[in-house]
Amino acid sequence: MPPARLPALALLALALAACGGGKAPDAASPADPAAAQQGPRQLNIYNWSDYVAEDTIARFEKETGIKVVYDVYDSNEMLEAKLLAGSSGYDVVFPSARPFAQRHILANLYLPLDRAKLPGWGNLDPAVLAALEDVDPGNRHLVPYMWGTTGIGYNVAKVRERLGADFPIDSWNLIFDPAVAAKLGDCGIAVLDDEQEGFGAALIYLGRDPNGVGGGEIEAAAELFGKVRPFIRYFHSSKYIDDLANGEICVAMGYNGDVLQARDRASEAANGVEVAYVIPKEGALRWIDSAAIPTDAPHAANALVFLEFLLRPDVIAPISDYVSYASANLAAKPLVDESVRNDPGIYPAPEVLARLVDPKKLPENESRARVRAWTSIKSGS
Amino acid sequence: MARPASHSSLWQLWHQVFTDLFRWIGVLGRELSSSRGRWVVLALPMLWLVAFFLVPFLLVLKISFASAVSGAQPPYSDMIGTAEDGALTLRFAIAGYQLLLTDSLYVTAYVNSLVFATVSTLGCLVLGYPIAYGIARASPAARAVLLVLVILPFWTSSLLRAYALIGILRTNGLLNQLLMGLGITDAPLVILHTDLAVYIGITYNYLPFMIMPLTANLMRLDFTLLEAAADLGARPLTSFLRITLPLSVPGIVAGSLLVFIPAVGEFVIPDLLGGPDALTIGRAIWTEFFSNRDWPMASAVAIAMLALIVVPMLVFEYVQDKRLEGDRR
Amino acid sequence: MATARPHATVEPWQDPNAEPILRIEGVTKTFGKVYAVDDVSLDIYRGEFFSLLGGSGCGKSTLLRVLGGFEIPDKGRVLIDGVDVTRVAPYERPVNMMFQSYALFPHMTVEQNIAFGLKQDGRARSEIEDRVAAMLDLVRMGQLGRRRPDQLSGGQRQRVALARALARSPKILLLDEPLGALDKKLREHTQFELVNIQEKVGTTFIMVTHDQEEAMTMSSRIAVMDAGRIVQVSTPSALYEYPANRFVAEFIGAVNTIAGTVVDAGEDRVVVRAHELGQDVVARAPQPIPVGTDVSIAIRPEKIDVREQPPSGEDNVVQGKVADIAYLGDVSIYHVRTDSGHVLRVQETHAARTADPHYQWGETLWLVWNAADAIVLAS
Repeated sequence: MPPARLPALALLALALAACGGGKAPDAASPADPAAAQQGPRQLNIYNWSDYVAEDTIARFEKETGIKVVYDVYDSNEMLEAKLLAGSSGYDVVFPSARPFAQRHILANLYLPLDRAKLPGWGNLDPAVLAALEDVDPGNRHLVPYMWGTTGIGYNVAKVRERLGADFPIDSWNLIFDPAVAAKLGDCGIAVLDDEQEGFGAALIYLGRDPNGVGGGEIEAAAELFGKVRPFIRYFHSSKYIDDLANGEICVAMGYNGDVLQARDRASEAANGVEVAYVIPKEGALRWIDSAAIPTDAPHAANALVFLEFLLRPDVIAPISDYVSYASANLAAKPLVDESVRNDPGIYPAPEVLARLVDPKKLPENESRARVRAWTSIKSGS
Repeated sequence: MARPASHSSLWQLWHQVFTDLFRWIGVLGRELSSSRGRWVVLALPMLWLVAFFLVPFLLVLKISFASAVSGAQPPYSDMIGTAEDGALTLRFAIAGYQLLLTDSLYVTAYVNSLVFATVSTLGCLVLGYPIAYGIARASPAARAVLLVLVILPFWTSSLLRAYALIGILRTNGLLNQLLMGLGITDAPLVILHTDLAVYIGITYNYLPFMIMPLTANLMRLDFTLLEAAADLGARPLTSFLRITLPLSVPGIVAGSLLVFIPAVGEFVIPDLLGGPDALTIGRAIWTEFFSNRDWPMASAVAIAMLALIVVPMLVFEYVQDKRLEGDRR
Repeated sequence: MATARPHATVEPWQDPNAEPILRIEGVTKTFGKVYAVDDVSLDIYRGEFFSLLGGSGCGKSTLLRVLGGFEIPDKGRVLIDGVDVTRVAPYERPVNMMFQSYALFPHMTVEQNIAFGLKQDGRARSEIEDRVAAMLDLVRMGQLGRRRPDQLSGGQRQRVALARALARSPKILLLDEPLGALDKKLREHTQFELVNIQEKVGTTFIMVTHDQEEAMTMSSRIAVMDAGRIVQVSTPSALYEYPANRFVAEFIGAVNTIAGTVVDAGEDRVVVRAHELGQDVVARAPQPIPVGTDVSIAIRPEKIDVREQPPSGEDNVVQGKVADIAYLGDVSIYHVRTDSGHVLRVQETHAARTADPHYQWGETLWLVWNAADAIVLAS
């Protein structure tokens, strides 16, 4: 982007630019990462909140002498807005592969990785790399980081109490079957506020392709949601963690790591709430988060040093332990704590793995139509 | 993973921008005041308005007439371009505004926002008036303490206060525990994630904006006017309705505007406390900007919101002026 | 309606059978440890223009507020037409007050201000309109009924306040320094206007003022207050001519006071040895005073006659020299220093036109006054 266009940015873009500008006084030429090595030993990281182990950054700084400026976000959209505005000033970011990183790669927002600087690349799970092939052909831009599933978190006692001890809790019918959902509505059902997750789960429950386009998918999913809408207490992407742990809600469509976090909080609080996570038998969406270097990263060379650091099994395994997510690092798996490694919600059995679906990037107008329909679903109109 | 935007990081963003610009204005101000002090006295507020209201507004206005371009950085078209023959071209896209008028969802969002803001403003007025009256009537020493108490919650983040309200209002929350503990209710009241929770949240959050101008106004109220009214046979309620209330109208208007305007654009409180059907302008802008990456559409929604608030205000002001002029004649 | 001032012909306070319209019985009001009003009793009669006169902090305003119902006394009773109203709220009392600041409602027109009290009484619309018009006429504000208070001059506002307070035809009108906010010239003019209006409407007026001249000009009777107590209640002339004590004598008008001891007491006159003058003076004593009592002699400056030759056959003669001269147009004031060093104030009226003062600096003069004009006050 030519700098001359900068004054024409939106208010928010102006804010973003001003903010980023303050953080990148020593901006090296992004076209020449080698030049960055002359810059000060600094690295600006923008990551999800609570997405590294407690000592990860300190270890990196100690080992390399590079000073880390560490900022956090809690939505892909936030990261995306900053990257689209330009001059974010960040060196390493952690986008979800689909559809975000995929869009960003098409928009040339990321630098190609210099594999020569990443000797730990071989530790990565070839299956995960293969799954990213359509997002990032040749795996040129993204280092897969953590991956997980979107399933169902539930309050064991309350759901059993309402559905009966023999009722199998293994299906999306907890949310999408009006007869079942009606029994759980007063106890609280929460759904992720994310049209990709919402439509994905609904279409999987209906036995349709969650990535399908033009076959009436939107209408079918909207109709399904319409029937159970009265029983859904809210749509939100993080509130359910606390609410599950407190017993405020009974059922939540949620990310596996978040549900497990709720489970741990409940057992720490010893409040008598037992939370469990299940990947429904119909299947579920799988998501992969990745690490990438923005095109205009001021310290691209240091970014590569950090990515290589993350590829080390002794670094990534403690992160998995801490965040309760499976890493894409195959070599690290033996080092992961047993309780995490053997948790089927984190490392699913092969037959469950086979039922997972990767969401695909949708055409722009389809994506927009889904957002519009999602807003309608949420507002109940 | 996908979670909604962090409000705290948005605030950090704003904080950064404001401190940077403020410093810049400060430097400029010092430069100017050394040569022509008087001019600066006028120029600084003007500069402030231009920098923080006019320029951002024009930028948003401009973007609202662009069209969204996927994969571009930033993701919208240039308004000024060159045609194939080298001539300068200006492109105005009004798709955003068209969609605003044709898609009922936006109308719903506007109506919801206005209802939320109106009800909450009334809530602030009903709660804030007696408080402001009490503060204005208190002794100067007590008044200072009471005013600090009113402002005190503002020293914490509004986000924190919203989360505190969640803790109070939720089904297993403090309020329900209290009500059930006292035997007033048998089953917990569902308040969180309803419109009522949004009213409570906005009212609580903006109450000081109502109390401050009202207190300032009521402090200026001459107490002998109420004695005169009583002397002329007016009971306390009549005195209030015929003397205190009409004389505090400027305070009521100021407080109501201070509450109403930000309440219309409020995002955090409906998002955290409201139900899923609490579709507001703030949420609509968020969806356009973040989910659809459609900056022009988001800008169009914002501009329309501004027009929706400012135009009635200007009309009100105009009518008010006319009325005052009529009185003078 | 009476055309003459009622008190000019009738003095109801002299009539043992007259029923007072207002009776104040032993009213005490304290603020903290301060006695603002201290055991005040007072009867005020129908049609009076009664003044409460005193310096600031003497309790006159507090007493007025007790009458208006804005303060509830700690002790004592207030009766209006025989009805105890001590604890009746202001809005239920048959009295109205004209406030010192006027307290006009700024958001209402003059007409609306005057109509306010009438509306509270639930009177008919047409009756209210007539009454408002009559009140506007009374205070000569007929043209300005549609104005708001901030569009009026100080004098006009004062008249609106008066009209508003009179509109409900109260049994008693309370006026708190009604002329205090006006400039001197307007004040003198308004004094007479206020008296005329009072005569027209016949309402009992009770006025608080710190201005003795104002009180003297306007009142039928005056109560002089000091430190929460009533010192003397009298008609203006009696107050001036027969002050009850030194405080009243000095508060009302100018006075020469001479300390001394009674050396001889006659039937209605005493001989007082005035140490400050180094001689004896003779004064009228309303009641017998025993020999040896310490007293003050009060003599008004205008009651002293000036002679250039030693006079004979006068009750009192004091010799002195002119120490100071003040020419005031209608009168001249001389300060005469006696041989003993005491200074007496003397006033001479200029009956004939002359540019020169009668007497010169340092000129020796003989001051002369009648025993009947000098009052003996208890010290």
